[in-house]
Amino acid sequence: MSQADLNGLRRFDRALLGAVQMIVPIDDRSEWLRTWRAEIWHMRHLKAHRLNGLSVGLTCDALWLRTDSWRRAYTGTVSLCLATLAFLCVVATLIMVILTGSWPDAAIYLGIRLPHFIAGSPLLVLVVYAEFATSNPRHTEHGSATKFRFWFKRKLFLFAKTALLLLLGFLLSADLFQTLHASFPITSDLMQIFVFVVLSLLGLRWSFLDQQIRCKQCLRALTTPARVGRPSHNLLEWNGTELLCPDGHGHLSVPEMETSWCQSSRWTFQTPTAP
Amino acid sequence: MLSTPRLSHTAALILKAISLGYCFGFDIMEVTGLPSGTVYPALRRLERDGLAGSKWEAESTATAGQRPARRYYEITKAGKSTALAATERYPLLARLLPEKNA
Repeated sequence: MSQADLNGLRRFDRALLGAVQMIVPIDDRSEWLRTWRAEIWHMRHLKAHRLNGLSVGLTCDALWLRTDSWRRAYTGTVSLCLATLAFLCVVATLIMVILTGSWPDAAIYLGIRLPHFIAGSPLLVLVVYAEFATSNPRHTEHGSATKFRFWFKRKLFLFAKTALLLLLGFLLSADLFQTLHASFPITSDLMQIFVFVVLSLLGLRWSFLDQQIRCKQCLRALTTPARVGRPSHNLLEWNGTELLCPDGHGHLSVPEMETSWCQSSRWTFQTPTAP
Repeated sequence: MLSTPRLSHTAALILKAISLGYCFGFDIMEVTGLPSGTVYPALRRLERDGLAGSKWEAESTATAGQRPARRYYEITKAGKSTALAATERYPLLARLLPEKNA
């Protein structure tokens, strides 16, 4: 809708629509303006006394469209995953600062425990990676080995996610036992190491599982799982679950059970992956 | 088979209003007594979830009435079954809203 289309409205209505439309995503803006022009016109001609309430409605509507566009754009993305983990790390650090009383005290407390973190982290990653590689052979990827660019992106994301998870595990374990440290220093140190290991193992396992159900091109979390095939035909044909990339890059076929001809999940690109 | 989505009381009320023929946001506000800040986002959610659809009034009709074309909301097939389930869940829903006169 152009500015000329708004001329049928009063100056206040035009100003209101002009201001609030900035919240609405550009793609939805013309339809939003058209809808609200009609609603305001009818309100003006039928129930003018309720227009104030309507201005709240149009603002809420615009905010809903904006948040929904963000939801569609960011749900399951790499940036959201890493940002959430980074945010949790910041929150855990702030809790530590509150518990110790000041930034320098928090830094000293964490600094003493940092060797546990640095020494333990690579070992934990190796243990989880080895356990995962041996116990879960059906999730070996196929069909994307030649795309070095995508492979590198996946590994970079896995590295960043793993690093943040380990850091989060370390900070949370330090938070949990900070108050006990003054009374029982040795016990609290041992318990902190133990909790760090448990939290990290859980986090790393989630990290590897999460990696498998992401698009091999854009790394967005796969959605819309659909059952394919008949379980009663296990020995005759493939059956399992298919998950789709929300951006349409491909789909992942996860077999229901391992068979001699199909032991692993298979990723299939749907679109040409030329640069 | 997908189960029928469970709606909040407010969403069920709005869906019921659409199913009774109240097809404009303003009409729904009037009949339900809900504020506009609740009704319009709820209509968007119902549309996103496929329980309600919307279409524009024909320009010729609007022009004949010397007013801007309005956006009509209408209940979908999935919306009908959800509204039915919501009526069973909230029995008073049917009594709260009168049928719209033609």
